[in-house]
Amino acid sequence: MMAEQPPEWAETILRLSLRCKDRDAVSGDLLEEYRASVVPARGTSSADLWYVRQVAGFVWRATGLWAVLFSGTFVARQAWDFFVPTHDFVFRSELTTYTGVALLAASAFWTAWRSRSFAAGVVMTVVMCEIAAIMSVIGVSALLAVRHDPATLNAAANSGGLEEAFLLPFMAVIPALIVGSAAAAVGTVGARLAAVGRNARL
Amino acid sequence: MAEILGAFEQAVLLAVLRLDQDAYGRAILKEVQARLDRDVAAGAVHATLDRLERKGLLASRLGSGTPVRAGRARRYYRLQPAGVRALNDARAAVETMWHGLRWPLRGRA
Repeated sequence: MMAEQPPEWAETILRLSLRCKDRDAVSGDLLEEYRASVVPARGTSSADLWYVRQVAGFVWRATGLWAVLFSGTFVARQAWDFFVPTHDFVFRSELTTYTGVALLAASAFWTAWRSRSFAAGVVMTVVMCEIAAIMSVIGVSALLAVRHDPATLNAAANSGGLEEAFLLPFMAVIPALIVGSAAAAVGTVGARLAAVGRNARL
Repeated sequence: MAEILGAFEQAVLLAVLRLDQDAYGRAILKEVQARLDRDVAAGAVHATLDRLERKGLLASRLGSGTPVRAGRARRYYRLQPAGVRALNDARAAVETMWHGLRWPLRGRA
């Protein structure tokens, strides 16, 4: 009989979210629990759901801080534009763009460094970006729920409109891929060189 | 005095202590769930094990895999002297706080 297998995509995401040294032990623990306890007790469909929930927890632990910072930058910029209107957006745009790019690069570099995997750096940064997009939409919605007087809505329209406020966070996946790839490459090479250096000293 | 452990950290350290030679990720997860009598996320246990190891309260080594886990190695944990001290300190702190009070408390509500 074939052993039960959790969703392959979820297992791939799990392994990418883990540090290099934990990859086999942690994914093995989850697989063992899935096969030995959860499938016999709940059946395959419910066990798959359990597995995905566990993976979501690992992904949140790996990306949550970056997602909060990234979405926080976006929501803060929207609040600035909505509540302190301006006609000159150059300084604000430069500030938030550079901050966003720095966060994407830092996320990809850190993930690639700890996992020693280029793919982990890129994929987890894209996942982080999408989590941040959902958080940004919630954040901007909350801003507008608190203040939606005509002046605020006019300021929102002048700063790019509500479409931009709700769609732009999801579009950030494109820079996440580009910046994430570059930073993940640097992180992977750096981590491998550091490991070679450590081994040489031993 | 050393840093006082959180309740979940104590639960994880005590699970490692009870499981002795069999203290690996999944066994610790099940022990913690049984003792706390609630569902606990695997990620929470692994994050705590990682933190306790970085603090020097636990040490780990890789063991062999089994077919049910597709041959992937188990990571076994064992308590370090600093972990024993931290558990003793945590227990002493709780006992000091409870000293002179009768348990269970009788509420006024």
